[in-house]
Amino acid sequence: MTEQDYKAPESIDRIRQRALIAGVVGLVICVIGIFKAPDRFFPSYLLAFMFVLGLSLGSLGLLMLQHLTGGNWGIIIRRPLESATRALALVAVLFVPIFFGMKYLYAAWLNAPSSGDGALSEFQRAYLTPNGFRVRAILYFVVWLILVFIFNRWSREQDVNREDRGLRRRFKMLAGPGIILYVFVMSFAAIDWVMSISPHWASTIYGFLFVVGQLISSMALMIAVVVLLSRTGPLSGVLQPRHIHDLGKLLLAFVMLWAYFSFSQLLIIWSGNQPEEITFYYSRLHSQWGVVAVLVLIFHFFVPFFLLLSRDLKRNTNLLPKIAVWLIFMRLVDLFWMTRPEFAPNAWPNLWDLAALLALGGLWFFVFAGQLKQLPLLPLGDPNLAEAIEHHEH
Amino acid sequence: MIEHRSHVYGVVAEFKTEHELVHAVEKTREAGYRRIEAYTPFPVEGLAEALALKRNNVPLITLIGGLTGGLGGFFFQYWVCVIAYPLNIGGRPLNSWPAFIPVTFELTVLGAALSAVFGMLALNGLPRPHHPLFNVHRFVKHATSDRFFLCIEARDPKFHLKDSAHFLKGLNASHINEVEDD
Repeated sequence: MTEQDYKAPESIDRIRQRALIAGVVGLVICVIGIFKAPDRFFPSYLLAFMFVLGLSLGSLGLLMLQHLTGGNWGIIIRRPLESATRALALVAVLFVPIFFGMKYLYAAWLNAPSSGDGALSEFQRAYLTPNGFRVRAILYFVVWLILVFIFNRWSREQDVNREDRGLRRRFKMLAGPGIILYVFVMSFAAIDWVMSISPHWASTIYGFLFVVGQLISSMALMIAVVVLLSRTGPLSGVLQPRHIHDLGKLLLAFVMLWAYFSFSQLLIIWSGNQPEEITFYYSRLHSQWGVVAVLVLIFHFFVPFFLLLSRDLKRNTNLLPKIAVWLIFMRLVDLFWMTRPEFAPNAWPNLWDLAALLALGGLWFFVFAGQLKQLPLLPLGDPNLAEAIEHHEH
Repeated sequence: MIEHRSHVYGVVAEFKTEHELVHAVEKTREAGYRRIEAYTPFPVEGLAEALALKRNNVPLITLIGGLTGGLGGFFFQYWVCVIAYPLNIGGRPLNSWPAFIPVTFELTVLGAALSAVFGMLALNGLPRPHHPLFNVHRFVKHATSDRFFLCIEARDPKFHLKDSAHFLKGLNASHINEVEDD
């Protein structure tokens, strides 16, 4: 193998520019939204925020997973994963508006009556306080950012000290506890930021639903990104069908896991049929939201599931990215269905949804693409790199 | 003319290393032989490609088995709960599909797994207690331990006992044996 630097192609600048324009246009509309219709704007902002959070955190989860398990698939997407985790700094900044929108999002526990219908339990009164919410949010981001910082720093180190075997052991040692920490903290974050919209409803698997959703959106993004990079430049001749075959298999696994978690939650609550629990599904399975639920079931599970069963499709560099992008879109629909029914009886996205997505998505991609240019697109110091990209077709 | 005896299964060549075998397989296919089979004590990388093995139907059989298991599992429950013994359980609808899903899922897995195993066995022609190659003494002794075998079968249109044996000898085979059919 000749020494190459695997630099990101110049064409990435064009994508960056477009993302920035989209982000700025979206931001301007968002600012109008904050002043004109804050009660409708903030739910939209929360949806877009949870989406971009998922792109960064899902990447953090996958990054730790590939350090833990090894495998050629992880080496191919490691640098794009790291770039996506570094965008978490932006996501942390984007959380700030939610502090100001709390009274529009979390009125159910901020203004809960002290007795009677809608009153909080003693534990909830101690836990769901405005200051507790703020301190915990900062804590969550500190934990995630520390993980992001350490993994990226060591990765940079590895590019220089290529013979350092101890580094790989350190990666592994941190990745295991890191995954537990990420899932644990994300579970709390999902409770604070989304589940507390309806404080009288609780589900223990709720955080896992977000974790697995984040893994789907991140893996789908990685498939699209590596295929794109293999078309225009440095990864052409590197990316082989066996690589995207592996990525496709993992995507299928995450889709199945998502369906499994979602169904376990439904089955238990549906079987129990308790008034305080079933309301969550009552508002989500009837009228317009019921239509969305069926669409999510068909297009987030059945269609991708049966398509991804095919071996040929998982090895197809034209079709697999299309399914991946489709799944990213379905993640949005699913998050819409999870976060919105408490605010709107009708299941139509509004102007602010579009604006918030444009703003947060645009800014996120701007940062992500910029980070992709920072380091070589393959981890040059990884001892298994040569094996990961060799061709053994006869 | 063609020396074609009905009791000949083929001719088998023995190789000392897997590289020689893969090389011999490639050469044999280049020479136009199609009815060939390789026998090795462990999986050899590149051998399947050299033999140009076709994709098999096990995935399709598995899919059909899984679908049959899943649909069967669901509609058995539907039949029991809605048609045969309709009972009012806590006011729930008779077709309580969420409650049917775990069994549906299990039977999908069962149907898929069983059809994968038995489909694989059937397509391989197993169980098969005897094979003509067992008539070759060296094959019995070495095929599962330390030697690599390549057999050109008599049903190959290009097969000719003497010529094929000679051809294999030219590929650096350490032993050549005629395989009797029975």
